[in-house]
Amino acid sequence: MSFFLVENLTKKFGGLIANNNISMEVEKGEIRGVIGPNGAGKTTFFNLVSGFYRPTSGKVSFKGNTISGLSTNKIARLGAVRTFQRAALFTDFTVLENVSIAQHMNTNSSLLNAIFGHDNHREAESLERAEEIIEFLGMQQERDTMADNLSHGLQRQLGVAMALATEPELLMLDEPVAGMNSGEKAVMVGMIQKIRDKWGVTVLLVEHDMRTVMNLCEKITVLDFGQKLAEGSPEEIRSNPKVIEAYLGADDSVT
Amino acid sequence: MLKFNLSNHLLVGSLVVIVFFVVAPNLVSAYRLELLTIFLINVILAQSYRLMATTGDWTLCHYILMGVGAYATGVLAKMAGLPFYVVMPMACVVTAFVSLLFAIPLSRTLGFAFFIASFALGEFVRHVWLKFHYPFGGARGINGIPKLEIGQGGEWYFIDFWDSQNFYYFTLIFTILALMILFRIDRSRLGNAWKSIYSDRELSESIGIDVAKSRIMVFCVSGFLAGLAGSLLAYQIGSIDPHNFEMVEMVYLIIWCVVGGVKTFWGPLIGVLSMSVVFELTRPLAEWRPALFGLILILFLVLLPGGLETLPARIRAMLNKTSKQREAG
Amino acid sequence: MGVDTIVQTFTNALVLGSIYAMVAVGLAIAFGVMQMANFAHGELFMAGSYVVFTLYTLVGIPFLIAVILAFPIVAAIGMVFERLIFRPTRGNVLAGFMATAGAGFILQVLVGQQWGVGLMRSIQTPYPGSTEILGAAISYQRLLIFPATVVMVSGLWYFLTRVKHGKALRACAQDPEAAVLQGISLNKMTSLAMLLSGGFAGVGGALMAPIIPVTPYMGHTFAVTAFIIVIVGGMASIEGAVIAAFILGFIHTIVTTMYDSVTATMVGVFFMALVLIVKPTGLMGRVKV
Ligand SMILES: Nc1ncnc2c1ncn2[C@@H]1O[C@H](COP(=O)(O)OP(=O)(O)O)[C@@H](O)[C@H]1O
Ligand SMILES: [Mg+2]
Repeated sequence: MSFFLVENLTKKFGGLIANNNISMEVEKGEIRGVIGPNGAGKTTFFNLVSGFYRPTSGKVSFKGNTISGLSTNKIARLGAVRTFQRAALFTDFTVLENVSIAQHMNTNSSLLNAIFGHDNHREAESLERAEEIIEFLGMQQERDTMADNLSHGLQRQLGVAMALATEPELLMLDEPVAGMNSGEKAVMVGMIQKIRDKWGVTVLLVEHDMRTVMNLCEKITVLDFGQKLAEGSPEEIRSNPKVIEAYLGADDSVT
Repeated sequence: MLKFNLSNHLLVGSLVVIVFFVVAPNLVSAYRLELLTIFLINVILAQSYRLMATTGDWTLCHYILMGVGAYATGVLAKMAGLPFYVVMPMACVVTAFVSLLFAIPLSRTLGFAFFIASFALGEFVRHVWLKFHYPFGGARGINGIPKLEIGQGGEWYFIDFWDSQNFYYFTLIFTILALMILFRIDRSRLGNAWKSIYSDRELSESIGIDVAKSRIMVFCVSGFLAGLAGSLLAYQIGSIDPHNFEMVEMVYLIIWCVVGGVKTFWGPLIGVLSMSVVFELTRPLAEWRPALFGLILILFLVLLPGGLETLPARIRAMLNKTSKQREAG
Repeated sequence: MGVDTIVQTFTNALVLGSIYAMVAVGLAIAFGVMQMANFAHGELFMAGSYVVFTLYTLVGIPFLIAVILAFPIVAAIGMVFERLIFRPTRGNVLAGFMATAGAGFILQVLVGQQWGVGLMRSIQTPYPGSTEILGAAISYQRLLIFPATVVMVSGLWYFLTRVKHGKALRACAQDPEAAVLQGISLNKMTSLAMLLSGGFAGVGGALMAPIIPVTPYMGHTFAVTAFIIVIVGGMASIEGAVIAAFILGFIHTIVTTMYDSVTATMVGVFFMALVLIVKPTGLMGRVKV
């Protein structure tokens, strides 16, 4: 049984084939990068595997369960959780509250429990784990800041922290360093590495920024015009003439 | 420490309010007491409406849901002759069930389409009351709903609900219960999860919150409590007809929630209280009164969106600004 | 069912569909441009009826001229709504919608204080008599509504596709940001949209004045139906509104003939719920709301 398996995934928007017959396999504990020039179909791929789109054909399975066609929350409940390319947060809440809300599916919060039981969101035990995650990612200073008031870099970090709070086995990151300066990028790269190394979470990241992907991933899948162009280690990808051509053709360079 | 103090203040404040409502019957006339009973029912209604709004789903059918509770009470108490302790829970459950039937198609829509579609579904129910003379009485409605009874005359635990004071206390107990339930939901992790749907639906979904299911659930809980308000109303006024549950009433409910705000638990309470006072004080305006309330609604939406509950923060921000300007100047 | 009943039902449906179309098109235009949702659209309709009551019944101006004057008069009210309510609440559909509920209250009270609350105003038809088509009697007054709608809707279509301001309005409905970049003024467009919206509601109310009871609260039923129509049609789609108006006109008339009008309204709402379940964006919908 494969940990995460994509088989012949295809998505058509009318006549346009945004993803064409893509297959890949991700092993447990891996950090896998999916790259490609603009318009290659990365976001579409990401939305397909995370349940935001239904595939036209093909199949995605996770730990032996077919997840293509399931809604995003069901996929998340199975342990495959996504983040967003935009800074997606609950803006009216503090950092701590954001992380604590993200733990929702692992809590025993039911209506009856809310009304009659011990389910106060301010109570210490429901915040313990959230504190732990914040500490792990080094965001203690911002603990009580409103999410809205964080810098872009910190907002993206918080997004990852929230995904982590759901206790996923597979973390799917959509362009985690988009719009960041080099300092913020370094922090984010360190964070992703730490998540895999210390918590054993498998990471699948879709990214435009080549340097980040080359530094972070053990294996890289390259998409171009909706199709899988190449797959291999950073070195193999770097020296693959097809990849170089695709990126040069797309007015972008392999760095 | 600050938080500890704050919750202490709240506790003391709530106790003062409760004591006021407990002694109120001795302070006001019988007519005023009935107004006070209606006020309590309105508090339940507005608070349960706020629950709907926590997921961002404002509806236009909440008054109809209240009507469902009232009609269920009328039918069960008058035609089936059931006692109140059977009628009231059943009225709530029936309303929650109707809410479920509403919520299933509605949960496929969002925002404005949701709002307006809920209006149409509500009208559907109102037409059901109009159309079916049996058991709803058509345009005439249901008259002579028996007063609720605890015991019979002569028994030691007999309470006479023809006495409006006793019904007032009865309503007060249920109001406090409903508010406690809603307060606990507001402070729970479940409540936070529901609020998160309003904040960012896609993000909620991605962290494993079943958005569709949650929206339906909120609708049902909110409907359950609207049903309670309706049941109390039916017992209070004794007769109901489709005109009790027209759009105008819904607009007043919206006015309460817009004037007070819905973000915090206190918003709708402030809204119902202030608007009820204004309503009573402007009786002399007679037929001009709806225009005044229309104007209030417009002014709040245009000039103070967020309602009175946001006023302190706004004033603080303004003071900060002027003091900064002074420092700079 | 005899031929006469069928012809009668068909023409009644055509007339009802026309009046629905006139009211719903106005809603759809306003919603199309910056999502202005007018709760008081029914009150604008009512205002149109009162224009006819005042000018035709009280002052004695010819009926058709009163109907034509209803357009600018009610359009002006629409533009006041835009300036005082929709513009300051732009970006928040619900706020604008709720605030116009307040405006509806105000209009009802003003009209009620001027001409009497709850009193029905009877307006004599300027075109008494009826024509007989295959045994069915159809009054001239009703018959007038269908060609009037055809003229109004084709006029609107001409305006939106051929006239500069109309094209700008459409551009603005499709992509406001791009329209602004092309130098189109958003405020002018929202104002124009409410002008048209109010004008259509006003003429609709004016034409109906001799047929239905005129009261300050008459707009409500029409508003409910008009909103059902625009939901079924797809909120911002004018074509959708016209198609849905005739569908609902037919449903309503046929069910009324067979059962009664209360049942007809229920069937209409049920139809809307069905459309929402099958296609949440409506028949011609593309906008997500
Ligand atoms: N929802 C959609 N509807 C229609 N076309 C789409 C949609 N999403 C993406 N596309 C098209 O699919 C192609 C791949 O887009 P995308 O997945 O966003 O690429 P990338 O993220 O690699 O830049 C593009 O040509 C884009 O225009
Ligand atoms: Mg992309």
